[in-house]
Amino acid sequence: MLTRRAFVAGGGAVLGALAMGSLGASCRRTDAAAGRSLATLWFTYGGRNREVLEQLVHRFNESQPEHTIHAVFQGDYFEGLAKLRTAIAAKAGPTLSHVIGEVIPYLARAGVLEPLEDYPGARELDVVPELGQAGSWVGGANHPLYALPFNRSTPIAYLNGALFEKAGLGPPTTWAELRETARALTDRRADRAPRYGFGCPVSWWFWVALVGQAGGKVVEDDGTVSLGGDAGVEAIELWQALVGTDQSMKRPPGRDYNAWEATNQDFLAGRTAMIWTSTAFLKYLEQNAPFPVLAAPLPAFRRRAVPTGGTHFVVLRDASLEQKRTAWAFLRWMNEPAQVIAWATQTGYMPVTRSAIQKLETDGYYRQNPNDRVAVDQLAVAAPWPWSADLFRIQREVVQPNLERAVLLGADARQVLSEARALARTDAT
Amino acid sequence: MRPRTPVSPYLMMAPTALLLVLFFFYPLLFAGYQSLFAWDLLTPPRYVGLGHYAYLFESGELAQTLITTLTFSVVVVTGSMSLGLLLAVVLNRRGTFWSFVRGCIFSAYVVSWVSVALLWLWVLDADGGVFSAAVRAVGLPTADWLGDPDVALYTVAGVTIWKIAGYAMVLFLAGLQDISPSLYEAAALDGAGRWQRFVNVTWPLLRPTAAFVGTTSLIMSFQVFDVVRVMTQGGPVHATTVFVYAIYEQVFLNLRVGRASAEVVVFFVLLLGLTALQLWAWRRKGESPHAA
Repeated sequence: MLTRRAFVAGGGAVLGALAMGSLGASCRRTDAAAGRSLATLWFTYGGRNREVLEQLVHRFNESQPEHTIHAVFQGDYFEGLAKLRTAIAAKAGPTLSHVIGEVIPYLARAGVLEPLEDYPGARELDVVPELGQAGSWVGGANHPLYALPFNRSTPIAYLNGALFEKAGLGPPTTWAELRETARALTDRRADRAPRYGFGCPVSWWFWVALVGQAGGKVVEDDGTVSLGGDAGVEAIELWQALVGTDQSMKRPPGRDYNAWEATNQDFLAGRTAMIWTSTAFLKYLEQNAPFPVLAAPLPAFRRRAVPTGGTHFVVLRDASLEQKRTAWAFLRWMNEPAQVIAWATQTGYMPVTRSAIQKLETDGYYRQNPNDRVAVDQLAVAAPWPWSADLFRIQREVVQPNLERAVLLGADARQVLSEARALARTDAT
Repeated sequence: MRPRTPVSPYLMMAPTALLLVLFFFYPLLFAGYQSLFAWDLLTPPRYVGLGHYAYLFESGELAQTLITTLTFSVVVVTGSMSLGLLLAVVLNRRGTFWSFVRGCIFSAYVVSWVSVALLWLWVLDADGGVFSAAVRAVGLPTADWLGDPDVALYTVAGVTIWKIAGYAMVLFLAGLQDISPSLYEAAALDGAGRWQRFVNVTWPLLRPTAAFVGTTSLIMSFQVFDVVRVMTQGGPVHATTVFVYAIYEQVFLNLRVGRASAEVVVFFVLLLGLTALQLWAWRRKGESPHAA
């Protein structure tokens, strides 16, 4: 009888072969002939960020004679994660990849990640505490070091500078101001497409930000999935008011990252005056908007709060020692100030080491580019994630579908979250 | 033709049979076995018996997916057949111009699903899309075509109809051109008008073709995935989560191999039932599914 693993191995081998492609095969031959050690990096973003990463990988490969990183695009975060899991099960995974924080406790529990703390220099990396494993999760320092921060972000507000100037408005600093500003900037006339004052994907990450601002936590410190309690309800009700009562927030079509892309496109086309999205899109929006783009921190309700987002580098345990050495050489190189700064200043993600932030400060970069400073400053109110292997399930199955139900169908927020909490308690079969 | 040896027919069938066993029967049996376990690919599987089936039935997830899929199929099969037949009747004319028009309509069928979905995603944008602008221009109210849970499924079905109507049109054209003109002449001599000729001559003779078009459109509508994946990702609020997308979502996004396998088994049983029903209907009428 064919075992599960063998069955998946067959499928995974096909997927792996497709993913690697003939270029990978030729690279391997070339590198073996040149005496270089090869490691494969699976990455999960396109556009400008992909270009910058591929340039950095190219520079790494050119900068030394021993190692080659072969970078392979794998779709968006969720597609990449699906491929990664399949490939790991089939023993056909890459050497390293980068994955969202919500999934790292699960991958760690599955035993597929390589602990990195004993690699040379690992303990000396000066990562920004809020962005590293120790600060990104509650009790993150109590686990072996599995995650090195890479493209880290927070949600920020993007404002259409021209519309805000014309209306004489500034960035909203409270939820009440957010509603007022969104209403003021909404333009609904029958003969043309409406312009909305506010846009935001109806997505887990932004809801977590709202829950934090309302004074709650999605998962309590004792591990109870509270979904924020009253704060969770208030977060949903804010969206319901913006979409339903005020009609000042557009419902973006699509789910997951398609909704994020729709939000960006509405902003660039002037169909939305203000959006919330990741700092990851800072350079993309600045460079493509036909109007000045202003970045601003998210507003407060009872307090200011944002989650961190983006991804962390992970090395897979099943990789060979040689591949892991190459992966580690690449990770150390990526954590040098020059690379950290190049990545951050060309994309909008935050610099992940303190030395890089210090250098940008002393060089006057933030004075010249105040938008870049917004996410870094927001780290002062960043809330760590719970170290929970179920967090990914809570995100995908418990919270996300119920957010859509409440915001798009107008279901009662308290009832929706009550049902979601019950679902979170059910057996995860 | 007599086979050279008694085993010759089996040898001829062997490659196809082998492929069927390897890529259809064995994976199906494996999915059935897998549906008895909770498994996320990475951690050890846990036996749950019929727990996934119980969950699917009790949670209402299966019923919702079934209703969504059947609604989608009914709209797509009805719409594509009606539009295909209408186009075939209207465009069944000689001349370069009509050939060009037929070619244009059929071209949508050969374009990839992803391209079609991306094109319509742009056309159907609730505010900036060409379709909404046209609707507004004639003074009609617009809708959030892909963002409104009450509308999104019909929008996706409409795009699917647009894509496959050319296929139905070509088959109906072939059927129309097989009908002898003398039958129409005889009907006209008997005083039948245009509508009566269609009802009493064209449609009865097109029924085998219609059965074939209906079956293949039904299969296509049940297999829909790409257009949903690109345009709505099963949303909003699961309004467009059809069977194949639900299976994809469970296994690849929610990490639930066992539950996805249970859905595969249910989907298979459903399709088997529908096919048996269809075969029974054909045999009852004494019509061959290969008549087209």
